[in-house]
Amino acid sequence: MEEQALFVLAERDVADAERSGYSDYSYWGSTIRVFMKNYAAVFCLGLLIVLLVFIMVQPYLPAQRDPNEIHLSQETFRQLRNVRPGAEFWFGTNSIGQDLWARIWSGTRTSLGIGIAVASWNVLIGIIVGTLWGYVRKLERVLTEVYNVLDNIPSTIIMTLIAYMLRPSISTMVIAMGVTGWVPVSRFIRTQVIIIRDREYNLASRCLGTPTGRIITRNILPYLVSVIMLRFALAIPGAIASEVFLTYIGLGLPLHIPSLGNLINEGRQLMMIPVMRYQLIFPSVVVSLITISFYVMGNAFSDAADPRNHV
Amino acid sequence: MPIEREVLMEVKNLRVEFKGGSKKPFVAVDDVSFKIYRGETFGLVGESGSGKTSIGRAMVRINEVAGGEILFKGQRINGLISRELDREVTQKIQMIFQDPMASLNERAKVDYIVAEGLYNTKAYQSEAERKAMVSQALLAVGLLPEFASRFPHEFSGGQRQRIGVARALVMQPEFIIADEPISSLDVSIRAQVLNLLSELQQQRSLTYMFIAHDLSVVRFITDRVAVINRGQLVELADTEELFANPLHPYTRSLLSAVPIPDPALEQAKVIIPYDPLGHDYAVHKPLWVEVTPKHFVLGNAAEIKEYRQRLA
Ligand SMILES: Nc1ncnc2c1ncn2[C@@H]1O[C@H](COP(=O)(O)OP(=O)(O)OP(=O)(O)O)[C@@H](O)[C@H]1O
Ligand SMILES: [Mg+2]
Repeated sequence: MEEQALFVLAERDVADAERSGYSDYSYWGSTIRVFMKNYAAVFCLGLLIVLLVFIMVQPYLPAQRDPNEIHLSQETFRQLRNVRPGAEFWFGTNSIGQDLWARIWSGTRTSLGIGIAVASWNVLIGIIVGTLWGYVRKLERVLTEVYNVLDNIPSTIIMTLIAYMLRPSISTMVIAMGVTGWVPVSRFIRTQVIIIRDREYNLASRCLGTPTGRIITRNILPYLVSVIMLRFALAIPGAIASEVFLTYIGLGLPLHIPSLGNLINEGRQLMMIPVMRYQLIFPSVVVSLITISFYVMGNAFSDAADPRNHV
Repeated sequence: MPIEREVLMEVKNLRVEFKGGSKKPFVAVDDVSFKIYRGETFGLVGESGSGKTSIGRAMVRINEVAGGEILFKGQRINGLISRELDREVTQKIQMIFQDPMASLNERAKVDYIVAEGLYNTKAYQSEAERKAMVSQALLAVGLLPEFASRFPHEFSGGQRQRIGVARALVMQPEFIIADEPISSLDVSIRAQVLNLLSELQQQRSLTYMFIAHDLSVVRFITDRVAVINRGQLVELADTEELFANPLHPYTRSLLSAVPIPDPALEQAKVIIPYDPLGHDYAVHKPLWVEVTPKHFVLGNAAEIKEYRQRLA
């Protein structure tokens, strides 16, 4: 055979070579995939979903009691006080004969509602103020001054004052926690914005004449998804803890609106009597589960939302 | 080349400062002047931190100008300018950035990255036209149009830099500042990007300002070169003239450090160190003087005299 015939140049298509070797990448798809690999986080997510669904349907389940009804003994017509957990009252009753099972789920609804409302508000306002503060140089001076003023007033004092001045109610609680709750969030966001605002890809956008609003929404915020989600996840249990604190100092919700705060507070007063500790343990367990779940989930999500982890 | 060429870009006594806290500002660029003619490739060389990027960024109006003027086709473009001029300049002057790993928005698809400037100038009638413009720009830099739906991290450094070039090209610019566009690329693909830039320049009659610290690249690609040291221009001449007759000691030192692709010569090479204290500027301040036609150098009267003698 001729040597020429043995060595024929293989056909090569450069375009074809470039076309291969790429995946169909999508940011959110990869984020969810990485998140799903973290079993502890998925478990916590499941737990929270179950809890959320359960507290929503619980009042409509059979054999549920009104959380505010005071139960009386059929024979003596006296209040069924501090009945221990059993077949009749699954979580027992409190010191005036109300059903703790009903009160705990009602309280979880209230507290989680407050937590989500406060966290959403604080994170939303924090993002808006923080990005403007960090990115719009004209506003930098003014917002720094505002921050210095607000930051020098301890938020516990503002929270306490507002809760004290207004009639105690769920909206009072949300307002008290939302008046200054966004301040640390905005500072945090500002720092993050300052870290990335002068990266070359942002300079490139400025060169191309991209308006500030679009630079913030297309260049800055997408980079902060992971830290914002973590912040949000931690803000929910944070607000629940603040509610517990406000109740502890006597500025909580009235007793006819059960919340994890006033349940824990009631339970705390009976803490020294061992047989009645269940009244503290049940609400505390719920608060702990919520806190831990959001913490684990928030961390896992924030890792998953970081594209460096999207291998 | 005709004698009277159109000045596309002119920098006059440019000064750029950076304020660090309350201390007195740091002067990154001091009294720099040069002209860039239409169609040429103007090189700006100097060591790291000499102020090259600061000049380039002042020209695209990212850095504030502390003194002097920047003129585009004779019109001042720094400071407050009219909206129409702002639009024109945004479209006509583009920049290619130093680090392709940092200069693309990782959270946006290539389609958005390349079309970003189009959105801002609304330079298209329909979505179909915009898409077509993006495809064209990608093809022009040797990328496939279907890459538009991908994210930057799916590309290699060389491809990313080409995306950066496409983003500039789509604006139909007249003047492009390329800030060390190949210094962070793999040696094997540097030539690819350089050739791409040269081809584009011929096809679209572009004018470049090419920033570099690698003199061999500068010699290959530029028509004229300015040498900058610590924020001041020290010498400016046609590329061949500068390499043949370097006058300023800083230029000579820079040239002496260029590697020679011949081991014997490389070994025998003498690197001339530059001593800024070697100038006696206590009494006679240095001036920016045209020693021979089109060859400028920074020096005081005594130095200029010596330079002229050397050239004679
Ligand atoms: N935003 C800034 N704030 C403060 N100082 C700066 C800033 N940008 C640049 N400088 C300083 O200005 C000087 C010139 O920087 P510049 O980036 O222009 O140098 P360069 O010649 O481009 O260097 P390189 O080759 O490393 O890119 C350096 O000393 C640098 O530290
Ligand atoms: Mg630079």
